[in-house]
Amino acid sequence: MTKTMSYYPGCSSQASAVHLDTSLRAAMGKLGVELKDIEDWNCCGASVGHIEGGHMGMFALNGRNLAAAQAQGGENLVTPCAACYLNTHYHNEKIREDARIKADVNECLAEIGKSYDGGLHVRHACEVIVNDIGVDKVKEAVTKPLTGLKVAGWVGCQTVRPFAKTERGGMYDTYDDPQFLDDFITACGATAVEFKGKTKCCGGSVSVMSPDKTLHLMKDILDEAKAAGAEVITTPCPLCQTNLEMYQPEINKKFGTDFNIPVVFYSQLMAVAFGLDAQKDAGLHQHLIPAEQVVTRAK
Amino acid sequence: MNAMSPTPSKKYDLDFARWVYDNVDGGDRMALCMQCGTCSGSCPIGTQMDHGPRKLFMMIRAGMKEAVLTSNTIWNCVSCYNCVVRCPRQVPVTYILHDLATVAVREGYAQATESDNARFGKAFWWSAAKYGRTDERLVTAKYYFSFGFGEGYKKGMANLPIALGMIKTKRMHLGMPHKCKNTGELSKLLKKAAEMEAKKHG
Repeated sequence: MTKTMSYYPGCSSQASAVHLDTSLRAAMGKLGVELKDIEDWNCCGASVGHIEGGHMGMFALNGRNLAAAQAQGGENLVTPCAACYLNTHYHNEKIREDARIKADVNECLAEIGKSYDGGLHVRHACEVIVNDIGVDKVKEAVTKPLTGLKVAGWVGCQTVRPFAKTERGGMYDTYDDPQFLDDFITACGATAVEFKGKTKCCGGSVSVMSPDKTLHLMKDILDEAKAAGAEVITTPCPLCQTNLEMYQPEINKKFGTDFNIPVVFYSQLMAVAFGLDAQKDAGLHQHLIPAEQVVTRAK
Repeated sequence: MNAMSPTPSKKYDLDFARWVYDNVDGGDRMALCMQCGTCSGSCPIGTQMDHGPRKLFMMIRAGMKEAVLTSNTIWNCVSCYNCVVRCPRQVPVTYILHDLATVAVREGYAQATESDNARFGKAFWWSAAKYGRTDERLVTAKYYFSFGFGEGYKKGMANLPIALGMIKTKRMHLGMPHKCKNTGELSKLLKKAAEMEAKKHG
């Protein structure tokens, strides 16, 4: 039976992480979840919006999305982006818990004839796979296991912090040693290597604006992946994927290293393992560092 | 919300701690900080901070308003939330640093308004408000050129190989920005939000 959930793809779904969006929609389809886009969604404000927008600006952006999601029915709003999840979940909880904030947000939304009562549950796509679908269902959907592919599961930050171990965050994993990504890798038939960098930070938006401050953080993650014998790194986070992939030449230049490790999304591994098209459904042709290992190992 | 804002002219402002407790998101819990240093110890970029969160919190208590709001600690935060989940007193450190950053820009400290993050934040908000979406190309370009034409050109050229790679892999499109259908509605909403925000700060 197919379940429909309101879906917030986030701005990166139309740009640097278009391959996350494509592959997640394809993989979720195989897992029986239809993702229905929030009508005319807008940016969540990410990790820098507050500087110009302030509290109310951030509440307005997130409130408009939440109101639109609620208007189209259902109880859940699901998003695959770490920053979208963090902001939407955070602001939703504030609106739900604090009557004064709820009143302020609705005063703002009334300006455009909308309202929101705090009733939705904001979920990360990974949490939905763990709690609603189940990793065993992922395993059942695999027709072309990625046998022998050594993958480092890099969870990063905001996918689990600060909500994974909270009740409303679905209690789906721990902050320092999460297991879900290794479980996804294993379910796809690949091998999850012992990777010490799994929750290390790539520098996030600071890496976009001032990479000189954070290249060493990314080098550290690549060092750990290499030491673990990984052929491919996989991550749920759009910014992690872009940062760690696009800065490898810069890191090599600065530190005299020779990294050339593909960084792919878990949903791309799933799409390929589910027997879907490597390009059209998994978007594996959209990498700066080609990840053909993923395709050639799928049998 | 208390409309009183800390006075920028004073080096020591003994009302500053109280103001932070009352007005900064998560500030009320900051009163419970026991100076254990778990936050600074957990920070992936702590070595590049002038103070780190633990010391910054002590400085807030000491009324060192100007030193706090001109510190690079509030700008070097990478938003990894390690400190938030590890703090034994549940002080939401990251949220506090974000909010202090907003305060520092609002109060016009040069170290704040000229920081990379404030420039980037300004470019980012421009795109979010104008189009309802982040246009990675325009935000980056606007950010680069906020340093002046020469510096912007230099930064742009340095990142040209990445941009070309992103275009080739169809992760950066050519042509008009993606945008919300109802950008008029969004402008109206954000205008109202800005009015409400301004009212809060007197």
